[in-house]
Amino acid sequence: MKPILECSRLTKKYGDFFALSDLSLTLERGQIIGLLGPNGSGKTTLIKLANGLLTPTDGHILINGMTPCPKTKQIVSYLPDCSFINEHMRVQDILSYYTDFFSNFSTERASAMLDALEIDRRSRLSSLSKGTKEKVQLALVMSRDADLYILDEPIGGVDPAARDFILKTILTNYREDAAVLISTHLIADIENVLDRVLFLRNGQLALNATVDDIRTEYGKSVDALFREVFKC
Amino acid sequence: MPWDLNNDRPIYLQLMERIQHDIISGVYQPGDKLPSVRDLAVEAAVNPNTMQKALSELERCGLVHSQRTSGRFITDDTEKLRRMKSELASEHIFSFLDQMRNLGFSDTETLEMIQQTLDKKEGTNNETDS
Amino acid sequence: MLGKLVKYDLKASGKLFLLIHIIYLLTCLMVRFFYVNQLDFEAPAVPLFTSIVIASALMLFIITAVCICTWLQITFRFYRNLFGKEGYLTWTLPASSTEHLWAKLLSGYLLSAANTVIIAIGILILVTGENVTAFYAQFAPTFTAELGVPLTTYALWLFLYSLAGGICSVIWIYFCITAGQLFPGHRVLCAIAVYFIFGFVIQALSFLILFLSGYFPGYNHMASQGITAAAYLTGTLLISTVLIVIITVLQYAAMHYIMKRQINLL
Repeated sequence: MKPILECSRLTKKYGDFFALSDLSLTLERGQIIGLLGPNGSGKTTLIKLANGLLTPTDGHILINGMTPCPKTKQIVSYLPDCSFINEHMRVQDILSYYTDFFSNFSTERASAMLDALEIDRRSRLSSLSKGTKEKVQLALVMSRDADLYILDEPIGGVDPAARDFILKTILTNYREDAAVLISTHLIADIENVLDRVLFLRNGQLALNATVDDIRTEYGKSVDALFREVFKC
Repeated sequence: MPWDLNNDRPIYLQLMERIQHDIISGVYQPGDKLPSVRDLAVEAAVNPNTMQKALSELERCGLVHSQRTSGRFITDDTEKLRRMKSELASEHIFSFLDQMRNLGFSDTETLEMIQQTLDKKEGTNNETDS
Repeated sequence: MLGKLVKYDLKASGKLFLLIHIIYLLTCLMVRFFYVNQLDFEAPAVPLFTSIVIASALMLFIITAVCICTWLQITFRFYRNLFGKEGYLTWTLPASSTEHLWAKLLSGYLLSAANTVIIAIGILILVTGENVTAFYAQFAPTFTAELGVPLTTYALWLFLYSLAGGICSVIWIYFCITAGQLFPGHRVLCAIAVYFIFGFVIQALSFLILFLSGYFPGYNHMASQGITAAAYLTGTLLISTVLIVIITVLQYAAMHYIMKRQINLL
């Protein structure tokens, strides 16, 4: 089976600024990977490239052996770090939208999650609170039987109860032969659910190791190591 | 409720200890079926692969065994469980004695103090009883 | 996939569009029954024509407003759905950029065409009263002689021309917004700038071509050479049509390229 995500010499330039430079990386299925790095380190650029929202300046990125295209979009489930759904839509319309466009979307799973959140199907997205909106979006993304889930800052700025809900949703719903890529700067909160972490610095890979290896080798948590590596 | 895990030791070791503790202390009875890896991982809020690794290690120790189709079960070897329980107890005692020695108490002094504490506790218990 | 994309575009704009156009048609009906049908063309000329001029101006204003609303709807749907936050979902649907572009062209054009048709129906409602047609019949021969064809035929041509021209307008607006995306930080401003700059360039270009081809300076000059109004109109129409078609094709090609290669959402 081909690796779910493969970058080789991947470079993205904006003017004179290298958002990613010469990044080579392979991610296998069946793991949850943390994408860590300070602001401006290239996390979002990498995520956008994987989703085909940007085209590389140089090098290439492959999803399941293919350059991003409608076929890869079918197997990648992406949670952007902003509110990405038309706010005027009703929850039931959003469900039919996902059902219409994504053949791997499980309406039952999404319905079960929305029921657990006690969300009225007839309510418009704009009438929901910010936290609830984020949960609805996560529920939609995790209701797809994708091969790669890409979650951009899923726990940014939520309270601990919401964080537990989010982690539980991710752990309960991802397929075992899928990979989950979670970008965050709140490492301590999600460290326990990760198999592997990638540290990005200035558009380059600073570290790629499993969480248990880091703990065995450095005798400290990933969070502590991160603070050390990116000390100001 | 996510399990309480500390930050500087490999997670699978901590998961092993926690499950081992739950087995020995009787949260899981001998011969019980363990929840699935995914369910345990969700309960502990940890990575399923890490939970898998912890369970495999426990399997190697003989504390749990898997049956190909029906899942993982706690060993029904009660003798072994009793042995592990007393091993764990002596580990606790040794580490306690170590700490007391660090504070400068001899083992006999420690023993006396324990006896006194127990007597006092007995006394207060009796008072509340009567 | 294309069908689904178009379906959701129309669903998003449909309600407001219908509401505006139903109000427009109701207004036309009311004006027809409570004003036009009451007109007496035998009445003294001055007050009659003053009231007709005011009513026409009012209706022209309403029609312009309805058109602007429609175009704003088309513009906003395109901008928000592709380049706003919603773009993160739109561009990660399993559809190609060509499909997205065509979906927006189809849905935008359908709205624009529906708008043209409904506006035309409204105008028909206004002017088909028996008193109006009877009054016009007095002048019909003069008009027909000048235009070369009866007014009804001419109006039909005008209608078909606007119907076809809708596709150019849709592409032009989409092109401006898409070109604006090339300037991060000032996307909307640059889209508007592109709109006016292109408008100016096209004006200058058509002016130049008309001048070179001898259609300028104007009809009076040509009338002296014995060219009828009809021939003059057809001539200018032909030249500007060719020009617009060329520009539209170029805009489509540019837009297609930008969407395939140069998108970067905020």
